[in-house]
Amino acid sequence: MKQKSSVAAKPKTGMARLMELAATKKPLMIASVILSGLASVASFIPHIAIYFVVREIMGIFPEFGNLDLERTVGFGWLAFGGILLNILLYFAALMCSHLAAFGTLYELKVNFASHLAKVPLGFHVLVGSGKLRKIMDENIEKIEGFIAHQLPDMVASFVAPVVMFAILLVIDWRFGLAAAAGIILALAIQIKAYGNDGAKNMMENYQSALEDMNNASVEYIRGITVVKAFKQTVYSFRRMHSAIKEYTKMVIPYTLSWENYMSAFTTIINNIYLCLIPVGILVGLNTSDYNRFAVTFIFYLIFVPSIATILMKIMYVSTGGMQIIGGVERMDEILHTAPLPQPEDPKETSGHEIVFKEVSFSYAGQEAEALSSVSFRAEENQITAIVGPSGGGKSTIAHLIPRFFDVTEGAIWIGGVDVRHMKSEYLMEKVSFVFQDVFLFKQSIMDNIRLGNQSATDEQVIAAAKAAQCHEFIEKLPEKYHTVIGTKGVHLSGGEQQRIAIARAIVKNAPIVLLDEATAFSDPENEHLIQQAFKKLMQGKTVIMIAHRLSTIRSANKIVVLDKGRLIEQGTHDELLLKHGKYSDMWNMYTKTLDWKMDRKGGKAHV
Amino acid sequence: MYKLKELLMLTDKGYSDLKKAIAACTITNLSLMMPFAVTIQIFAELLKPLMGQEITWIRMWFLLGCGVIAAILVFLASKNDYKKTYVTSYLEAENSRISVAERIRKLPMSFFNSKDLSELTTNIMADCSTTEHVLSHIIPQLSANAISITIVCIMMAVFDWRMALAVFITVPFALLIILCSKKIQARLSEKQVEAKLKASDQVQEYLEGIKVIKACGLDGSKFSALDNALHLMMKLAMKMEVVTGSFVTGAQMILQAGVGLTVFVGTYLLTKGKIELIPLLMFFVIVVRIYGPVLVEFTLLPELFYHRIATKRMRTLMSAPVMEGDIQKPLTHWNIDFKNVSFGYNGRDMQEDTVIKNLTVSIPSDAITALVGPSGCGKSTISRLIARFWDVNEGSVKIGGVDIKTLDPEHLMSYMSFVFQDVVLFNDTVYNNIRIGNMEATKEQVLEAAKAACCDEFIRALPDGYQTMLGENGSTLSGGERQRISIARALLKNAPIVLLDEATASLDPENEALIQQAISSLIEGKTVIVIAHRLRTVAGADKIIVLNEGRLVEEGTHEELMNNRGLYERLYRIQQESLGWSV
Repeated sequence: MKQKSSVAAKPKTGMARLMELAATKKPLMIASVILSGLASVASFIPHIAIYFVVREIMGIFPEFGNLDLERTVGFGWLAFGGILLNILLYFAALMCSHLAAFGTLYELKVNFASHLAKVPLGFHVLVGSGKLRKIMDENIEKIEGFIAHQLPDMVASFVAPVVMFAILLVIDWRFGLAAAAGIILALAIQIKAYGNDGAKNMMENYQSALEDMNNASVEYIRGITVVKAFKQTVYSFRRMHSAIKEYTKMVIPYTLSWENYMSAFTTIINNIYLCLIPVGILVGLNTSDYNRFAVTFIFYLIFVPSIATILMKIMYVSTGGMQIIGGVERMDEILHTAPLPQPEDPKETSGHEIVFKEVSFSYAGQEAEALSSVSFRAEENQITAIVGPSGGGKSTIAHLIPRFFDVTEGAIWIGGVDVRHMKSEYLMEKVSFVFQDVFLFKQSIMDNIRLGNQSATDEQVIAAAKAAQCHEFIEKLPEKYHTVIGTKGVHLSGGEQQRIAIARAIVKNAPIVLLDEATAFSDPENEHLIQQAFKKLMQGKTVIMIAHRLSTIRSANKIVVLDKGRLIEQGTHDELLLKHGKYSDMWNMYTKTLDWKMDRKGGKAHV
Repeated sequence: MYKLKELLMLTDKGYSDLKKAIAACTITNLSLMMPFAVTIQIFAELLKPLMGQEITWIRMWFLLGCGVIAAILVFLASKNDYKKTYVTSYLEAENSRISVAERIRKLPMSFFNSKDLSELTTNIMADCSTTEHVLSHIIPQLSANAISITIVCIMMAVFDWRMALAVFITVPFALLIILCSKKIQARLSEKQVEAKLKASDQVQEYLEGIKVIKACGLDGSKFSALDNALHLMMKLAMKMEVVTGSFVTGAQMILQAGVGLTVFVGTYLLTKGKIELIPLLMFFVIVVRIYGPVLVEFTLLPELFYHRIATKRMRTLMSAPVMEGDIQKPLTHWNIDFKNVSFGYNGRDMQEDTVIKNLTVSIPSDAITALVGPSGCGKSTISRLIARFWDVNEGSVKIGGVDIKTLDPEHLMSYMSFVFQDVVLFNDTVYNNIRIGNMEATKEQVLEAAKAACCDEFIRALPDGYQTMLGENGSTLSGGERQRISIARALLKNAPIVLLDEATASLDPENEALIQQAISSLIEGKTVIVIAHRLRTVAGADKIIVLNEGRLVEEGTHEELMNNRGLYERLYRIQQESLGWSV
């Protein structure tokens, strides 16, 4: 899996980039382009054969009985052979281009995927899998059309007129020039149509109207249950309706802006013979060898219409171009994300205390700092809890330790070594994390737990499952540990998935554990089991815990309170309560919410 | 032709417009024969001296004039057909989009709660674009080609049936090959689709699992699964292309063998004196050009079949059953009675999927009733049955003594407010997002609801206050804020029955307190049904219904249930313990 260097000096865009992509399979593409060019040359053969037949016939006119049948039949075969040659060459061209296209798609996808594994994990947190999957499944896929069809056709449609021009000039330059004038006029119209600024603007409007309509329909369908519940279907329907109308309003003028160009193009390529007539008349008036003149003229009249088929192809070449380029741009945008920098001289560590020193961090594209100059120390084998209002920066802390993102300022040390000086793999070995979004692969439960540590034996996996309180429910599944997740009838509840993720972390047995307190209250029993599983996981580890429920962390060794990205207090539960600061406010509020009951006697909550 | 209308689900206007578009395309095709006719005339003129006649150059100029006029006509005709096909197809696609949207609006809630179907619905909007394409790029051209080819064929046969036969004899053979290959292609494309889905699955798994993959250092093995899937997809695509390409190429060769055949037959007839030179030349010119349109027919036809799938999906949607019941009778009492209710999401035949089993329970009006039990016990289902998102399989649900099956679903809905966990917000202002609760509400009422739901403060802190745009699905708001907006909506609606699904997600204490306050104002004086996860919050409820595996286990007040020492008491105890848990 070769990683193409994505940090080119000057990344190409637009058509140049497409050509660069097409060159991924250079030999195949060159073969395809040559074959396609030859095919378009071969497409003239039948016309020439027909011309020979005509010449033959006219030579003996009107004594048809004297016709050299053998020769004429030979020309018949020539015509047929030319057709075969054209078809076969074009087939071969398309085969080459398709092989190139599918090969290129494959390589692009593999490159893309392997690049994704190299970028900071934080990138995935921010971008989300939906967009990336769309790039893999749709945008990259669209390049196929360009490489497989449009490029060879484009070449053919430029080679053909040139060859034709040569043939035309060789036989009689006067007719040749006349025909060329027609072809050039047709091409000029085509170029004018695409260079048209108004059309470009409209294209943009049209694209954005299309996007709006798609977004509106997604929103419409997602929101339908709500609007139905409020009997407001008309409201969201109206929005959908206007997006649809808007699209039509954009697409029609956009399409119609091509009306004259397209019609003119069609007209010209079908009427190039008209250029020949005046030339024919002028030449014919002054000719001394009438027979020769008539044959030449007839040749041109038969020959010229064949250009129409070839030139028609040009019309379709750039139709999808814009969309393809847009898709490639989306892919390149991701490919240009710098991979996580790796240290040149990687260091290792034996200690596991975590130190934040003057750490500041802001997410790309956001002005406000998510963390501002945060310093604290999480001692080895102790539990450090992070609390604070939502948006205070709790999750950011958890994201920075395993280098989902790199700090903007300051540094994070583990056992005295800056995390940026450790190899990613090494850092990942040191840290386990259990976050709220659990992901299980469509594999057996055994394999899913073993992901934590590939060398774990079955016994170790089962022991971890037991410690994570999974064993009992796993035993109840149809195939026990070999049950494949996602198969029919196998559905794990959120709590069960959470516990499998914990089992994974237990099997991994990393010295540092990052925990995001699980979504609570799902089900009393589950919650109880998750707590027990957490307990097992945290034994003898350096733990950083993002806590929502303050009671959970009241006996933590240290509590760090964050608000608006700043560390405002730290200490033990008791110390912080004595300070009567933010933490003590939160604690008071928390105990009150616990006492809240939904009843009508009090009417209002006790806030 | 009527079938075409059915097939594409066209409106009457769309259908007649389509016919016009086809006519316009046919006219263009036929107009393209004028240059051809002029060319033949020129041939005739040029050949005159060979037959001992004098060539008239004036006539040549005249023919040039005719040619120019013909070209202008071609231009006008193609302008006309361009306008007719595209405008028609876009307008018709607009109609089908709107009618799909209109239809979606009327479908029962149950339709949207199954994930596959909501995906289907999303796809349907894409299907409308497909229809657009079929209408603009396929049908008019296909039909017009067919018509003009037939006309040319007849005209040629009139001139000389033997030559016409030579030209067209290969068509059926070529068609036969194309038809035969369809089966093989279908099988291959099935495999290809399968590989595509599998690759797509792998991509999904790779992307979603990338955190785990990296954290566990599995880049290699996970990657090879993806790599294999992509590789297989590539191989199948190539195979498909080679096979399809070979058939099409074969058909093309057979078809175009007609050129050679025409030359042979023509020269033979000419030497035997059975055909004139001019008609022969005409056939020669035709034969090198006629196969293009025929090939277009061959390639467009399968596309049309392919697009049938698209309209099939649309048809499923259009024929999805609407819920029965049309009584708009006002309800006056709010007590809810379940009598022998059984329900499964897959209908009554799937015994093992039954979620609610023979449940008889009553929910008093003007009181708070809590539904509790382990996850999967059916408590959410009960609230959905009350709102008639689904109809029960057996038994009945009555509100104020009226069986809800007889009521118009929208009418029933007007008596209920919902506060569910997944809050859907629209890409609109905050103000409008709240006003969805009641579009007739005055500005004061909206502000009042926002205040009562503890939204006012945070909304005022937004850049444009109440006029702030929320972005796609309100992505700019936190979970707690979203919850409160949905409560504000419900407050504004002021319906007598409130269905409440307590949020499970942990929020920070401040948000929690605000939501609690908001809920307190919402439930005042209402018939409240709450799906409770935190048993402490509902300890003060007037009635607690305890469910397990779809059956009623116990019911009563908190005190009664605690004394019972049953499931409720056990759950309550465990939860108290976990609440006290500390690291």
